Amino acid sequence: MPLRPGLLLFGPALAWVVAAGLGLAWTAGDSRAWTAIDRHGVAVVGSSTCSECHPDAWQSWHASWHRTMTQRPVPGGGLSVELAVAPEPGELLAPFAGETFDYLGFRATMDRGASGAPRIRVKSDSGVGETLLDVEVALTVGSHRYQQYVGEIDGVLWRLPVAWHRGEARWIHMNGAFVEPEGESGSLVDYQRHLSRWNDNCIFCHNTEPVPGLQDSGQFQSAVGELGIACEACHGPAAAHVERHRNPLRRMLAGRDLGDGSITHPGRLDAGRESAICGRCHGQRIARDIATVMAHGDGFVAGDDLAEVSRPIFADSTIGTEPMPFAMRFWPDGTPRLSAYEYQALLLSPCHDSGAGLGCNHCHDMHGDQPKGQIRAGRSGAGACIDCHDLDSDHGGHRGVESVDCLDCHMPEITYGLLEGMVSHRITSPDPGALVGRHDQPDACTQCHVDRSRRWAAESMAGLGLLGSPAGLPEDPLEQRGSRVLLDLHGGDPIQRNLAAHALAQPDASGSLELRMAWLADALEDEYPSVRWFAWRGLRALAEAASQAELVRTLAEFDYLAPIEARVEVIGRIHLQLGTPVNPNQLFDDLSEARAETAIWIGE
Amino acid sequence: MTPERHLRASLVLVAVFMASGLWLEAMVGLRAEGWLDDPLRREFLRLGHAHGGLLGLLNLALAWALERLATPPSWAGKIRLAAWTGALLVGAGFMLGGMLHGPTDPGLPILVVPAGAMILLASLAATALVRPSDGPPGPES
Repeated sequence: MPLRPGLLLFGPALAWVVAAGLGLAWTAGDSRAWTAIDRHGVAVVGSSTCSECHPDAWQSWHASWHRTMTQRPVPGGGLSVELAVAPEPGELLAPFAGETFDYLGFRATMDRGASGAPRIRVKSDSGVGETLLDVEVALTVGSHRYQQYVGEIDGVLWRLPVAWHRGEARWIHMNGAFVEPEGESGSLVDYQRHLSRWNDNCIFCHNTEPVPGLQDSGQFQSAVGELGIACEACHGPAAAHVERHRNPLRRMLAGRDLGDGSITHPGRLDAGRESAICGRCHGQRIARDIATVMAHGDGFVAGDDLAEVSRPIFADSTIGTEPMPFAMRFWPDGTPRLSAYEYQALLLSPCHDSGAGLGCNHCHDMHGDQPKGQIRAGRSGAGACIDCHDLDSDHGGHRGVESVDCLDCHMPEITYGLLEGMVSHRITSPDPGALVGRHDQPDACTQCHVDRSRRWAAESMAGLGLLGSPAGLPEDPLEQRGSRVLLDLHGGDPIQRNLAAHALAQPDASGSLELRMAWLADALEDEYPSVRWFAWRGLRALAEAASQAELVRTLAEFDYLAPIEARVEVIGRIHLQLGTPVNPNQLFDDLSEARAETAIWIGE
Repeated sequence: MTPERHLRASLVLVAVFMASGLWLEAMVGLRAEGWLDDPLRREFLRLGHAHGGLLGLLNLALAWALERLATPPSWAGKIRLAAWTGALLVGAGFMLGGMLHGPTDPGLPILVVPAGAMILLASLAATALVRPSDGPPGPES
């Protein structure tokens, strides 16, 4: 039989094309390649597996604070928690080179044990008494604002009392990071107030696929899919997805919108479901079945209805018989005033429109190039609003003021968390008139116009052509006595005082630097460490802006966590340099006395 | 395919894929969206540019070899057509696969790359193995 050149030259290629075409047709029509798979209870495969096909997405996640939510500083055995994915070596922010930190009469020493593992030891009587704590660091929690340390004691993991503050590169005591009174010197109970159990607290929102594993015996057999918030926290368990996509034809058809029931793509969910993924951690919740969650985890897979496993905490939420135990975490109008309630704030926003409007994904991008806040490109400032709102008009009367954008008025910084003032995620329109005569909630206007009263803000609304409660305002003698922020700084509850100090320190706030510095100096005497922190940091920023080098040097000697005697001495010198009296005025005295009634205690 | 047509078509192939290099370079210079920010697309467009250009040059070498080896016309014409088609499929398959890619993999046009490679390999093998005595004398097709 003679050789046929055409068949020999083109035959194999034609056979390949036919085979590939048949393979494509079979794959496209094979329901096993596309239909939804129940992934509840399925183990995670780990982020390194995801990186093989999604290197860019993996890279952006790797640069995020989500990844470092929980880390194992010294990988290897000895951890009582079962890990489905072996961790990579964690990054320890603190030196652990023998530093000491004294607080409430106790001394913590941070060094390394014989094996080189980081270790924290606490002794009473400023370091000369008995050893109260001597534990190696098993896990670290967080890394953006401060890094907390977790040690294992008798098979249970505990968050230790001291943490490393990243911004200031110093050790702090956890009492200083929460909004609560300082505690008594020498009181071990006060010192160990935040020695909280990791297994049924931190495990939830700082890890992927967490299972506390609480046994009937009261012991824990905790398990975690992957330390930190990794890929499968937002996309769900990926084992089936990986298996399906071993078929290269399946991968090639993946972009043809045939659906993929083996993984969750948050960006393809509606705003409600997509936001629920974030809300699982960025919205404190109460489990529907607490016992089951403590034993087996919440069972939530990204894309599920979050309401089926939990209910978000609002001001009027109840648990047990205590009436409204969470009210302190919200402003009187129901707006959350603490971080980790962003989901609730979104749910309360008209822009969310019960899930039909915008969700977290509108402004945030987990795979962008901006780890801080993970803001989607083009969606900061006015960029967040222009998709739906026409900004052509002279809306708000602040046009031309470069430092003012939509968020300043509609998402003001009236949320406290992690020693920071943060934007409110409840998108609202300012209405200072509705709050005149009230002293329990800040408004957007006076958070920038810090030297002005709320009455001034209310009356200015009409002048700017803005809607607001009418200026038929009740007279309030206190309102006449100072700026709104000053009233909050002296007479508000601790969160108001934190936020007032934060507002006074903003570079674009109104009022002279001298005036704001004098007010902040008064707040250095506050009995709440968090207020002192805001006041000190703000005063330092303003002193630097005013080029007051000597004052900056003096402020460097002030430690907001130091014993009161040490603080008072530095405060005296600060006032001397500012030319202000240590005991400022009658207003301060009047409000400070009433402040005892505003004591609050917001821990975990 | 005649020797002259093969030579001209091969030069066109080289010119087209070399020119695509100018386009890729311009996109770098202009910081074009969908290029710099899309590593998968970038990789496959580069592969198409390089393969198309080099395989065009290979066709020129093949045209020379067919003459030197006095490959029988009944084979030579088909080898020329196959080699040129193979080079085009490989270069264009890479480029279109990159331009129309999915989330993690190149698009469906990438499937013609193996087909083109097989045709090219078969052309090279035939050029190497077919002797002047293997075919009846006659006009090239």
